[in-house]
Amino acid sequence: MTRRGFSLRWLELQLLIIPAAVSLIGLLTISLARLGSTRWSWGDLTVSLVFIVAMFATSFWLTLLKVQGDQILLPIVVMLACLGLLLSQRLGPTLREGGVWASLSQRQLVYLIVGLVLLWLTVGLVRHFVWLKRLKYTWAVLASFLTFFTMAFGTDLGSGARLWLELGPITVQPGEVVKVLLVFFLAGYLDDYRELITSSYRVGPFSLPPLPYLIPLVGMWGIAVLAVVLQNDLGNALLLFGIFLVMLYVASGRLLYVMGGLAAFAAAFVVALRLVPRVAQRVEIWLDPWSDPTGIGMQPVQADLAFAHGHILGTGWGFGFPQAIPVVATDYAFAALGEELGSLGTVAVIGLYLALVMRGLLVASRIRNSYVRLLSVGLVSVFGLQTLIILAGTVRLLPLTGITLPFISAGGSSLITNFLLVGLLIRASEFSRG
Amino acid sequence: MRGVLQAAAIIASIFLIAYGVLITDDRADPRWLGLLVVIGGLWGIALWPSGAAELVRSARPLVHLALVFAVGFALVTIQVLRAQLLDRDRIFARASDPAVGVVDVRRYVAERQVERGRILLSDGTVIARDDTDRYGIRHRVYEGPIAYLAGYYSPGLYGAAGIERVFDHELSGSSTSGWNSWLDGVLHRARRGNDVVLSVDPQLQELGQTMLGERAGAAVLLDADSGAVLAFVSSPTFDPNQLSVPLGAPAEDVERARAYLAMLERDGRGPLLLRPIQGLYVPGSIFKTVTAAAALQSGLATLTSVYRDDGALVVDSRVIIEQNRPDPTRVSFTLQEAYGYSLNVVFAQVGLELGAQRLEEMARAVGFEESIPFDLRVAPSQIAQTPDFLTSRAGIAETAFGQGQLLVTPLQMALLAAAVVRDGSMPEPYLVREVRSPNGGLIWSRQTKEWRRAFTRETAAALRDLMVWSVEYGYARPARIDGVTVGGKTGTAEVGDRAPHAWFIGFAERAGKRVVVAVVVEHGGSGVQVALPIGRALLEAAVQGS
Repeated sequence: MTRRGFSLRWLELQLLIIPAAVSLIGLLTISLARLGSTRWSWGDLTVSLVFIVAMFATSFWLTLLKVQGDQILLPIVVMLACLGLLLSQRLGPTLREGGVWASLSQRQLVYLIVGLVLLWLTVGLVRHFVWLKRLKYTWAVLASFLTFFTMAFGTDLGSGARLWLELGPITVQPGEVVKVLLVFFLAGYLDDYRELITSSYRVGPFSLPPLPYLIPLVGMWGIAVLAVVLQNDLGNALLLFGIFLVMLYVASGRLLYVMGGLAAFAAAFVVALRLVPRVAQRVEIWLDPWSDPTGIGMQPVQADLAFAHGHILGTGWGFGFPQAIPVVATDYAFAALGEELGSLGTVAVIGLYLALVMRGLLVASRIRNSYVRLLSVGLVSVFGLQTLIILAGTVRLLPLTGITLPFISAGGSSLITNFLLVGLLIRASEFSRG
Repeated sequence: MRGVLQAAAIIASIFLIAYGVLITDDRADPRWLGLLVVIGGLWGIALWPSGAAELVRSARPLVHLALVFAVGFALVTIQVLRAQLLDRDRIFARASDPAVGVVDVRRYVAERQVERGRILLSDGTVIARDDTDRYGIRHRVYEGPIAYLAGYYSPGLYGAAGIERVFDHELSGSSTSGWNSWLDGVLHRARRGNDVVLSVDPQLQELGQTMLGERAGAAVLLDADSGAVLAFVSSPTFDPNQLSVPLGAPAEDVERARAYLAMLERDGRGPLLLRPIQGLYVPGSIFKTVTAAAALQSGLATLTSVYRDDGALVVDSRVIIEQNRPDPTRVSFTLQEAYGYSLNVVFAQVGLELGAQRLEEMARAVGFEESIPFDLRVAPSQIAQTPDFLTSRAGIAETAFGQGQLLVTPLQMALLAAAVVRDGSMPEPYLVREVRSPNGGLIWSRQTKEWRRAFTRETAAALRDLMVWSVEYGYARPARIDGVTVGGKTGTAEVGDRAPHAWFIGFAERAGKRVVVAVVVEHGGSGVQVALPIGRALLEAAVQGS
């Protein structure tokens, strides 16, 4: 890194104008729709103004730290977070909630700010990724500890799975952190043993994979199945396993591992379908929600109605009735967008996620340092797979699983962790130069 | 070669999507999901980057990964667009199927946000309006004994009927367009549907209702010039309040309304029937007006043509006995006298001379066998129920004096009288005069128009003379009103073993105002004694009141 004067990140600043405008117009629409009048004051826009300040401050902070990294990732992510913030402002007043320290609208803004601050800290603290790699086994131990601690002492917030830890007034979802720790561990492990994993040894006429180094694969498969059975958390199991396969493939370049892994997961799924009633029920709701439209099928049926009412242009922010869908703010955030923003909105949101993933992969492909490169692919895959799994569940391409839509779903653990990932990605992108 | 393959993959995937949407109803149908797997594969081919083979070994997995993500997101896009654009109506249809039992909250909310418009009578009397109860649920409230004119509105149960159903798009406000209603919608301002104003005059309506009393029957009074319905009496009737159930009403209210409707349907007297337009009755002697019209128009007879009536006529094996002669010793009568004294034997002869074809032609010309254009559906009046009835001479003879297989609605007969006073032209009748916005602005107003020409001006003049003579000198004499030109015809229609239907049709003309009436009292007895007084009272009140 050369020593020279501060230069503003102009591309980023220009792109950030779009989420700034969207947040102002969106928030104004929502508050006017609620009041049913055309009178407004600057006070109605407080949330957006705070958001805009935080967003530009982030860009200036990156300038101040002389970060030379990618300037496209932050605007995409902030745009998605802006939609999430607007959705929380829109849904917050309509949802009945009690016993929480602040309303949904307030909480989401606080999480967003905390997330951005964490991004600042990440960018400030993580520069060379060396210690990140060195501590790989620490991350693995920490991830296992968190998983089993949650399994033992966690609370169930109504989803039928013990996924939350109560820390005083707030609850956190350790699963969100576990997936990041897993990426840290895998990137370090696979980078170290890349050669061995790619190689194979011969026993007579057969060419066999290096079994001793593939034990993590079997281990991961075991943990994923265990999570399905013990934690009733199909979504995260799928996500963890997907991340693992992606990183293994990128590190080794061998399709055989992916095939084997998918076959193993399919086998595990078939077994779970037989043995775990909850999994079978999920599949049943997915295929035919109309057989019990006011009971277990209520969520998908109401989401279908929301999508259908959205049509092309949508009802507009604040004019739909997305609160008819149970647990809309997390599981079905995308259906709420589909109702109020129409198919133009849904396609735009899918496009944003695709742009995020593609940009992330492009950045990763230019990185020379093999560890940082593997880490970046892992982090991008976390976004990509998580988005794909929850969107596929929402639109009934796959059975629904209770994981969050990155940056849009309400929820602090997810939002804050995701901003941490973005900070790492921006730092990692610096390695792509020269 | 590569380009051709990619294009083929894209085209094939488009066809597969179209095929899949056609054969499957739902996005999670296993057949559709199977097709999606194939489509995903095709897109994988289509998106396969050129030069992938030349990439450095380490970059290849990243390209594959990008491809998998692109195809995955594309499949999600298909699924969501299918729900939002293609399956929209299927989803709505499923949700509205009562067997499925889903409440589409959005419709319910939209329903409750619009205050339904009112239904008013011509002087502003409200017969139907929305009211909010203490739980905040909107109820439809009907006022006064003549509220059945509105029909009923019952979204929680049966839907709607009558004016409430036919004018639903006005009353619910969904027809309103323009800047203000758009702004109301955008700002979620309380909206109100439009008011529907009927042409019915509450005083005339009440008079008819009172005079008919508890007896089953109908009376319809029209303004002959415009076709406006001034009174539209049906008896017995029902209480629309007991049928009106709002969405979200408690189960016991729904049950009570359901029981009430079942009771109405079981009631043999047919209280749900709007008799002026849906009641079909044997006309009896009032149909002689049609026979006379056919005879006059065809030139077969004039008012002074003389017919013989010696008390009985044998047609084939059927004996027609004359009971109506004013003097049993008289045997010859003019057509005018035969109409005024309602002589069946004479009209049987007229009918036989006319033949089936000319009689039927005139009946059709005045509107038989057709649904009269009206705000509510009108049952067509019938000439004969079996197609070969009019091939027999006895059938023609009976039809000519109003028995046979004839069935008519009171509105049809009132229009016949209207054609007589309007020189042969029939107006298009109407019940709804105008639609007004919630703040009273006129949105739509009825343009009066002619429905059809029933007969020539000359025929109309002759028929008018017949009807006036009938009131001046004939049996319809009690219908005379001082200072008013009144024409009319009574009827006593035989219906099997029970007492006959009493009929009266007539018109009154005074100072340029012309009104017509048709009254039927089911099994009421003599037309002169039972139906005529009601008709006369309505005619008198209508011309005096103006």
